[in-house]
Amino acid sequence: MNELIYNLAVWLDDTEWSRMLHESYYMYNWVESTHVLTLMVSLGMLFLIDLRMLGLALPDVPASRIAERLNVPMLIGFAAMFITGILLFYAVPVRTSQSLWFRIKMVLLVACAVNAFLFHKRMNESVATWDIEPRAPSRIRLGAMLSLTFWSIVVVCGRFIAYDWFDCNTSPNTLIDIVSGCVDGQTRF
Amino acid sequence: MKAVMLTSYPRTLTVVAALLTLLMLAYGGAMEAVYPSLLGVFEWLETTWFGVIGKTWGAAFAFVEAVHLLGLALLGGCVLAGDGRLLGVVLTDVPVQTVVERTHRVFVFGLSICLATGIFMACGVATKIYYLPVYWFKMLALSAGMLFHFQIRRPLLGHDIQNLNPVVVKMVAVASMLAWFMVAATGRWIGFSG
Repeated sequence: MNELIYNLAVWLDDTEWSRMLHESYYMYNWVESTHVLTLMVSLGMLFLIDLRMLGLALPDVPASRIAERLNVPMLIGFAAMFITGILLFYAVPVRTSQSLWFRIKMVLLVACAVNAFLFHKRMNESVATWDIEPRAPSRIRLGAMLSLTFWSIVVVCGRFIAYDWFDCNTSPNTLIDIVSGCVDGQTRF
Repeated sequence: MKAVMLTSYPRTLTVVAALLTLLMLAYGGAMEAVYPSLLGVFEWLETTWFGVIGKTWGAAFAFVEAVHLLGLALLGGCVLAGDGRLLGVVLTDVPVQTVVERTHRVFVFGLSICLATGIFMACGVATKIYYLPVYWFKMLALSAGMLFHFQIRRPLLGHDIQNLNPVVVKMVAVASMLAWFMVAATGRWIGFSG
């Protein structure tokens, strides 16, 4: 599996557009800046929704209204983050695919998606009974807490990808090399 | 309406004058006179606990960077929700006053996180950022953003918004979003400089 991912990453890395994006100082930085700055739209809106469920923000506004109205800007932000995230991966595919932090981030993104699905499902089923309460029921609050936790760790992992602490061929730890998907003697930046 | 104009406009003019003075100091030669003496302060910052921790433990610095981003996300969410409401783009069926007032508390929390983590990070790389023009642009943008938010936007919107000129309200929203976007963008660019 790791060899397959490695070969795919090498193939991407060998494409001209990947090299151009990687080596373009301004283009790469613009893409990365957009990825980071759209946090304000996507996570900003998500945090407000989660904090509303916990009773820590806009407690006197119906919860369903906050969730519905902030959903659209949040999804626009996530779309921008998703596109720029793919471009960032495309610019440095081999090192990124062999990054421990990137792998944890991907697993957490899946967890975030599952949590978001369950959160909305549970909310839509029961919101009529607690919509104007300052705090949501415990099951919904748990979903909001998980969302805040998962996304916070996603941001931390995203930030850690930039550091080379556990890059293949630099880490003496075999377990980390296995989790990172290092292929013997094969890595590139 | 008259009372609003009498209290808000002199305050606005004072803030604009303060910002212009800052700009004149920055580009009118005064900064060049003060700049060399600030080096000692930045060198001292690196010897503080924050500076030593930031320089010694890369993981601690990176973690604080991530918390800084989380604070920025919170701050940005509040700015976009509040100003988006003023522009009539989001939460249009919630009273303006409610959105502006409730998001302000969260905004202050996000700003506090950004300031605390920002000070820590600045201590860790103090002698590097001292020489970066973009760092000083960020400080200018941050000063402008905070002055604008606390001295213009908040006092103005503390009045009954229905009595304010809608064009003024929309201009306040746009100015606020631009100010905080500038803070975030210049902050991001520090990472690419030096």
